[in-house]
Amino acid sequence: MERLATAWAIFQGLLLEALPFLLIGVAIASLARWLAPGGGWLRKLPRHALLGPLTGAALGFALPACECGNVPVARRLLAGGAPLGTALGFLFAAPVLNPIVLASTWAAFPNQPWLLAARPGGALLLSLLLASVLRLLPEAHLLAPALLEERRLSQPLAEVGLLERRSGLVGTVSPPPLPVQPSRPPLQEVLEHGSREFLDLAALLVLGCAIAATVQTLLPRSWLLAVGGAPTLSVLSLMLLAVVVSVCSSVDAFLALGFAAQITPGALLAFLVLGPVVDLKLLGLFRVLFQPRAIALTAAAAGVAVLVLGQWVNLLLL
Amino acid sequence: MRSLALALWGLVLLVSSLSGRLDLLLRGIFHPLVGLSGVVLLVLAALQLPAELGPGRRPPSPRTWWWSGAVALLVLVLPPNPSFSDLAANRPAELGEEAELSFLLPPAQRSLTDWVRLLRSQPDPSLYAGDPVRISGFVWPQPGESPQLARLLVRCCLADATPVGLPVRWPPGEVPRADQWLAVQGTMAVEEHHGQSRSVVVAQRITPIARPSRPLEP
Repeated sequence: MERLATAWAIFQGLLLEALPFLLIGVAIASLARWLAPGGGWLRKLPRHALLGPLTGAALGFALPACECGNVPVARRLLAGGAPLGTALGFLFAAPVLNPIVLASTWAAFPNQPWLLAARPGGALLLSLLLASVLRLLPEAHLLAPALLEERRLSQPLAEVGLLERRSGLVGTVSPPPLPVQPSRPPLQEVLEHGSREFLDLAALLVLGCAIAATVQTLLPRSWLLAVGGAPTLSVLSLMLLAVVVSVCSSVDAFLALGFAAQITPGALLAFLVLGPVVDLKLLGLFRVLFQPRAIALTAAAAGVAVLVLGQWVNLLLL
Repeated sequence: MRSLALALWGLVLLVSSLSGRLDLLLRGIFHPLVGLSGVVLLVLAALQLPAELGPGRRPPSPRTWWWSGAVALLVLVLPPNPSFSDLAANRPAELGEEAELSFLLPPAQRSLTDWVRLLRSQPDPSLYAGDPVRISGFVWPQPGESPQLARLLVRCCLADATPVGLPVRWPPGEVPRADQWLAVQGTMAVEEHHGQSRSVVVAQRITPIARPSRPLEP
């Protein structure tokens, strides 16, 4: 019973900390929808395989939110017709590449300058890799059905595969014009849309927080930190800890400070790079963006990449 | 249903903020943000209620809103009541490199956390032998030895709580129960522990106290 009460309290702690950030993310997404209803500027973002994700990552500096707030903004980018690589670059890199997270990392580790370069660098590399891997999947297999429908409305028909079209003419020579630029929606409609989005995401957040709180209560953290000194095991255990703990990227550096002295530098970096991209709380939220197969691919690719990154850092610094 | 669900979540955030529940869950820096978000959600609910109640067809509410609304109700009805010793038992006690003390209070004014930080930064038990100690904390059972008096440090929320504890030599026959909050007065002494000397609080006066309104420390 005591354990249940503790899990309930951890659940509330995670949820109450994340909900305001989710609201901020939805507010940014709704504001973008109101200010640029057709999302024309989104379609002008670079489509280049490298430049696209880099631009998306750079957007993190303009829209500082941690990972919970990032999901609704990334959804807005995708729904508005932004190039896939740009939106994915934003989704995966912006939780680290934003002023708040960089400042908190600096505040927590002022005496480890290598980390100040390695964390954003690692996050950027990881986002480029994940964007490249996920782009291998056709959009119909990658994006959640509701998001795909919305995205199709914002894309020129010529960009939609013949088998995926639900309307339009087959065999036209010149590409059909873009849909007429919609006018700015009434404020009431924007509020309604934002509210729906918040409630959908809040339900998924509840699920993620419940899983994270249960696993945390049942799994003694000392098990995960017991292998601190071993190069590979320490990276793996800290990756698992990042996935389980599910704290916000703006404060995870302070949490890492608590055990930084016990673990290898590669494991520390792995914790700080993987947590903002994949954790139990986020996996629920990702369902508004991706199909389950794509979520599994994201988790697997991020896991392998961060393990290699951590190993490499250990090789250099140990 | 949309306005109702928004209002429920708004109430959850606002009630948690105003009732002091957040003191048990989150670091103080997040409290205004939670309260403000609650107000925003309530305003959103109020703005949309007239349109929802008015005539016209409305799309059905997704089932997920109903069950997440039920969770919100549960959060309102069942406030958090974590077992601190259970939380502490699950976490390694580490302070990290920021354990350095910027200034030193006189011994009798040091909190439990101050003492732990001091002992980590200058771990020579003989320096503190005989110093007066006045600390408070919860009882944290230790496997195979007598319980310590402890506090939880939190950097973000309860999920990252880290325990810090001080060994206590309890008066004979007075071993306290786990999770109980106590104020302890005594002196610092040196004892042998697994072949090494360490500081231990020799408890002379033990007073049961209520859990402090802000039990988590930064």
